[in-house]
Amino acid sequence: MELEELRATWSEMSQELEKQKKLTNEIILKMTQDRYRKKFSKLRNLETVGAMICYLWVVFFLFNFGKLDTWYLQICGVLTIGFLIILPTLVLKSLKKIQNLDILNGSYKKNLVIYIKEKNRLLKLQQMGIYLSYLLLFILVPVSTKIISNKNIFLTSFKPLQVIALVVALIFMFFFTRWGYKSYKKITNSAEDILRDLDS
Amino acid sequence: MGNAKDFADVIRKHQGLIYKVTSIYTNNEQDREDLFQEIVYQLWKYFDTFRNEAKISTWMYRVAMNTAITHLKKSKRSPSSVPLPEYLLSASDTKDEVFEERLKSLYLHIKQLNTLEKGLMLLLLEGKSYKEIASITGLNPSNVGTRISRIKQKLKQNMTNS
Repeated sequence: MELEELRATWSEMSQELEKQKKLTNEIILKMTQDRYRKKFSKLRNLETVGAMICYLWVVFFLFNFGKLDTWYLQICGVLTIGFLIILPTLVLKSLKKIQNLDILNGSYKKNLVIYIKEKNRLLKLQQMGIYLSYLLLFILVPVSTKIISNKNIFLTSFKPLQVIALVVALIFMFFFTRWGYKSYKKITNSAEDILRDLDS
Repeated sequence: MGNAKDFADVIRKHQGLIYKVTSIYTNNEQDREDLFQEIVYQLWKYFDTFRNEAKISTWMYRVAMNTAITHLKKSKRSPSSVPLPEYLLSASDTKDEVFEERLKSLYLHIKQLNTLEKGLMLLLLEGKSYKEIASITGLNPSNVGTRISRIKQKLKQNMTNS
């Protein structure tokens, strides 16, 4: 096959493609919107699983709340339940708002500004979640210990193994939360580059 | 420019261009569909940045090829086999078997080229001038000329061997 033959075949194929244009405006716009949503579906699925785990813990704590027999354990219990309900719900709401943004309605630039605002809100929530999760660790341990083992750790001294477990949990949390936050930023950062392009 | 209807009209009018880019950079229908959707999405993202200084098709080639190359890097799949794209098979239904064979042979030759060469070959087959190819790829026209000569040599060699 000579180059000229390749050209002729290519040209013939192009003509065939021209004849059978299958896409309609409706399909094109739906495809674009779906693609945008797909970019967040993995993140949303992960967050949904995370939220479900948190809600299951809430159910567990509510069923066993009676076992918390001192005022400070009860405060820890209320804080734990509040934390496990509020933060995942806010994150899911924020993600839903970003994902359901009608990117085809209005100019892309206008939508991008809304997106950036929402993204920053989400990142702030995540940042807040990181700091609060350290606090949660310290209130979750006494609550869980009381409910599961019926021991008030405020009145018992720590065994070396328990201290090691707490330190390991803290180190794990430090790296896990950093990784989680970085992943969020990576997914959402590309939009800021586009905004810069639009402004230039 | 900037509204959804304008965008959809442009994509509808130039969908063949996107099909052709996806067909040289992918090896199966699923990848092709995925790349097609990604190209359309990227075109939408940058639609507001398109200024009428360039031809819309030049701008579309640029975005489509950049997206395809990024997609290729991400998927890290090296071309292994050269099946004929399904929509091209249906396009060739109305033609004879000779055309189908020629089409297969054409893709076989293109798939033997590297990533940049594939893009240059596509633009060459589309009948673009060196200046237009340079504007799409970001290379300078003399560099385009040199690279295309090499591609022609490579093709000649492949054709002699096959």
